Amino acid sequence: MTKTVVDSRGTACPGPITDLIRAYRKSANGDIIELLATDPGVRADSKAWCERTNNELISLEEKNGVFTVEIRISGKKG
Amino acid sequence: MVNEMKSIAVVGGGAGGLIFANTMAKEMSDDIRSGRLKIRIFDGSVHHEFQPGYLSVAFKGKNPATMRKYLSELVLPDVELIPENCSRVDIDNKYVVTEKTGKKFGFDEVIIATGSRPDYSQIPGLSQANHDFHTSASASAELFKRLEKIRWGRIVTGIAGLPYKCPPSPNESAFLLEEYFVRKKLRKDVKITFITPFLRSYSNETVNSVIEPMLKERNIEIITGFNLESVDPEKELLTSMEGESVPYDTLLLVPPHSGAPIFKGVEYADEDGWIKTDKYDLHVADYENAFAIGDATDLPISKAGVEAHLEAVVVAKNMISQMQGTGERYEFTGRLQCSMETGYHQATFVIGTYDRPIERIQPSLYNYFQKKLMERIYWASLKGGYEWLFKWHFGEDYYRKSGKEKPPMQTPKVQNV
Ligand SMILES: Cc1cc2nc3c(=O)[nH]c(=O)nc-3n(C[C@H](O)[C@H](O)[C@H](O)COP(=O)(O)OP(=O)(O)OC[C@H]3O[C@@H](n4cnc5c(N)ncnc54)[C@H](O)[C@@H]3O)c2cc1C
Repeated sequence: MTKTVVDSRGTACPGPITDLIRAYRKSANGDIIELLATDPGVRADSKAWCERTNNELISLEEKNGVFTVEIRISGKKG
Repeated sequence: MVNEMKSIAVVGGGAGGLIFANTMAKEMSDDIRSGRLKIRIFDGSVHHEFQPGYLSVAFKGKNPATMRKYLSELVLPDVELIPENCSRVDIDNKYVVTEKTGKKFGFDEVIIATGSRPDYSQIPGLSQANHDFHTSASASAELFKRLEKIRWGRIVTGIAGLPYKCPPSPNESAFLLEEYFVRKKLRKDVKITFITPFLRSYSNETVNSVIEPMLKERNIEIITGFNLESVDPEKELLTSMEGESVPYDTLLLVPPHSGAPIFKGVEYADEDGWIKTDKYDLHVADYENAFAIGDATDLPISKAGVEAHLEAVVVAKNMISQMQGTGERYEFTGRLQCSMETGYHQATFVIGTYDRPIERIQPSLYNYFQKKLMERIYWASLKGGYEWLFKWHFGEDYYRKSGKEKPPMQTPKVQNV
């Protein structure tokens, strides 16, 4: 299991979701991706992305304008 | 005026590298001719191609030869073209090494403008199966020949992986395919499917709200959230990382891109070879004498010619003002402007800056003509022509004056090694 921090702070849509998709390609089931973003669109986009790709949204928090999204990769067919 | 001999190496003679080198040559010709300034551009390509033109070659049968010119014709006489790629850019020790002859050239300042390239290695089977409209004029011409033979079947177009240059180009391929088969009166027998790893047809919601209804209206099937893992060319089947499959008869995907291979593993680039670049003055990592422009950067904006152009202008303006001691500093505004042809002589644009969100622009004939105008003026613009027009067009987004003075340049240590 590896944890990858993807820092998309300061990028506007589609920056965070682009960075997430790129990190996802390099990940394996069981890995954690922590996505940091300042674009509020990340809230809806990361939820919808997890639903669509069957990955697990562990947490989504906002603190001082920074969103931290934790995702467990579980959707890859293996 | 430059007091001492100074040498600038430009690695990559594409849109960004040419505009930078030719702008410098135009503005600093006295210094160049008197031997106080040397500008070298390194690029092993014989031709430079107008990449937006690939779409007209692939989907409208335009002659591919009209989309390319000899690189040597695009370099102003005051710039020295070294017709070789570089195999190494050593910023610490201020030299580049050429790939074929292994020659070393010293520099005081280096501009990295090596663009982006398709990286088929990321998706097994893709290179064998794909008909690429996105990488060269000749491949696009091959695709057009193939389209002419198609009478029925399922064409799958879209995005195979991220990142890639010119974000609207996959959508354009869907629109132009639709128009092509309507004109051929074969549309009802040809199914067009658009796949994307994003959650919408266009990654940005504002642009998506304009184009997704159009794609649907034109009966183009859209599969979002599709992360292509592999292609089976024998079974003609795409498989996603989540195990979904999509069959195809003809495949036209935009492959994921990476930076030039020479930057993989260097400390001033990320693991995919994108150069770590300051988003405003475009310096590389912690270096004061290295700049990156265009697709080669890791900037969080689209990879497109307009960005390469405006970044080249900013770096050139800063160098000129530093050499002339005017103290003026310029910054890149993050302005992006990608045209998206939506078929039937209509186009929209994707326009925004670092500070301004992407605008909603309805497709129009006027936008289409603007796109066509760019085709006309492209070659001259690479030589620094029509800059007044770009300045007028981009207005306050052309560049931003930052006011922060940079200390005068130090005496160069390395000449030709
Ligand atoms: C189908 C398509 C449609 C497009 N439409 C648009 C559009 O509408 N608007 C827009 O703004 N942009 C568009 N673009 C994108 C645009 O063409 C590119 O973003 C632009 O060319 C980038 O400029 P660049 O200088 O960074 O790279 P390039 O122009 O690609 O040039 C890079 C150069 O570096 C050279 N090089 C590579 N490695 C080395 C090395 N090791 N040593 C020396 N030289 C090296 C290459 O030979 C090449 O000449 C489109 C692209 C495509 C493919």
